[in-house]
Amino acid sequence: MCDQTFVAATFGPCDNCGTASPLMNIYIKNEPINYCSFCVEVMACQGLQKGETLATLKKECESLKKKLEEDRGKLNDVELQQVAEKVEVVGALSIKTRRVLKGHTNKVLCMDWCKDKRRLVSSSQDGKLIVWDGFTLNKEHGMSVPTTWVMACAYAPSGCAVACGGLDNKCSVIPLSLDSNENCAAKKKTVAMHTNYISGCTFTNSDMQLLSCSGDGTSALWDVESGQLLQSFHGHTSDVLSLDLAPSETGNTFVTGGCDKKANVWDMRSGQNIQSFECHESDINCVKYYPSGDAFASASDDATCRFFDLRADREVAVFQKDSIVFGASTVDFSLSGRLLFVGYNDYTINVWDVLKGTRISMMFGHENRVSRVRLSPDGTALCSASWDNTLRIWA
Amino acid sequence: MKDGIANNSTASISQARKAVEQLKMEACMDRIKVSKAAADLMAYCDAHIREDPLIMPVPASENPFREKKFFCTIL
Repeated sequence: MCDQTFVAATFGPCDNCGTASPLMNIYIKNEPINYCSFCVEVMACQGLQKGETLATLKKECESLKKKLEEDRGKLNDVELQQVAEKVEVVGALSIKTRRVLKGHTNKVLCMDWCKDKRRLVSSSQDGKLIVWDGFTLNKEHGMSVPTTWVMACAYAPSGCAVACGGLDNKCSVIPLSLDSNENCAAKKKTVAMHTNYISGCTFTNSDMQLLSCSGDGTSALWDVESGQLLQSFHGHTSDVLSLDLAPSETGNTFVTGGCDKKANVWDMRSGQNIQSFECHESDINCVKYYPSGDAFASASDDATCRFFDLRADREVAVFQKDSIVFGASTVDFSLSGRLLFVGYNDYTINVWDVLKGTRISMMFGHENRVSRVRLSPDGTALCSASWDNTLRIWA
Repeated sequence: MKDGIANNSTASISQARKAVEQLKMEACMDRIKVSKAAADLMAYCDAHIREDPLIMPVPASENPFREKKFFCTIL
C-alpha cells in the first residue's frame, strides 16, 4: 500500500512542446501540469544557479536540517515532565464499559461522533456504515457502500450527513434522511477523488467542505456541493494515514501523519506545509490536536505516542514503556487535555497523564486491535472501535 | 519513491530543491521556549480539569451513559 502513485503516467500531447508522448502528471505550486519527460527535465534544470548540482542541494539540505535542530534545541530549557512535577496527580479513574455496540459483521475501522453527543457513525471492513444512538443502542441507519475496507468516516457538523471513504479511492457524502424507509445509500455523492485509498476524512467547520487524506501521499480540501478540489497539500513522501483539524478557535490549520514517519502541519488556505516533525521511528497511524490547539499527539507503529508543541516547534513528551511492544493505532485527548487515550494493537486502551508522561490505567475489553478511539463532543464518554467487530462506549 | 518514466536526476533535483525551500521556510519560524509552552499547557489543563467529566465525574443522574436506567424502544 506504500507505492507513490501521484506521479502517474498518461499518454497524450505535451502541454509544453505539443508532441504526443508518455506524459508525467505532476503538480507545480498545486497546478497540475502534463509535460513529456524531456520537458520535465528541461524545466527542472532551468533556474539552477551556477554551480548548483544535486550534491550541493543535498548538502544544503543537510546543513539546514542541522541548523533547525540546533535552533530547536536552544529553546529546550526544561522538560514538560519537570514542569509538571508540582501538578497534582490525577485520582483513580472510574471509567468502565457502559455500552457494547454489536452489529457489524467484520472489523470496525473508524467511527465519529455527531455534535449532538449521542449519535455516532461507524464504518467497517464489510462495506457498511451504521449510525447508532449511543444512549439506546438503536441503529438509526445502516448503509452499504460499494467498497470494502471503509477506513474513514465522519459525521457532518449539522448531523444531516456522513462522509466515508476507503479502498474505492473516493470519499462520498451521504445525506441522512429522517424517513427510515428511504435508501440513504442511493443519495450518495462522490466528493473526493484520489489515486489511492482514503485513509481519513473530516468535515471542516461546515457541511460544505471536506478534508481528505490518502494513501497517494496527498491531502485535499474539497467543496462538497460541486465536488471541486479547492486545495491540495503535497509534502509527504509516503501514504498519509491520518489527519486532524485544529480546534476552531485557532484558525485554519490541520495536521497529518504518514508512513514517512513525519507529522506535518498545513495551512488550509495556502496549501503550505508550515511545520514538520520527524521523531517517530515508524509509521504514524494517528494524529490529534490538544484541545487548546497549541499542541498535538501522534500514535505510531513504533509503540510510542509523542506529544509535540507547535509554538515551541518540538517534541515535548514521549509516552512509552518497555512493556508496550505493540503499535499504537489511535489517540485522543480528554476534554481538559490532561488524559491521553491510546488504542493499541494488543487490544488494550492505555490512559496516559499528558503532563507527567506516566500511564494512569489500562482499559480492557476488546478482543482484537483497537482501531479508533474518540471522545464524545461534551467529554462525557469515549467510544472505541475494534477489529473484534464491536464498538464500546466507556464513561 | 517510484520515479515513473522520469530520469532519476530530474525528480531528485526538484525534490531536493523543494526540500531546501521548505527547510528555509521552517527555519524562519518564531519559536517560544519549552518552559513557556509547558506552562501554557499546564494552565489550560488546570483551567478545564474541573469540567472534565472523565476526571471529575458528574453524578450518574446527569451522565446519560452512566445512568442505571434502561432505555426501551417502542417497536
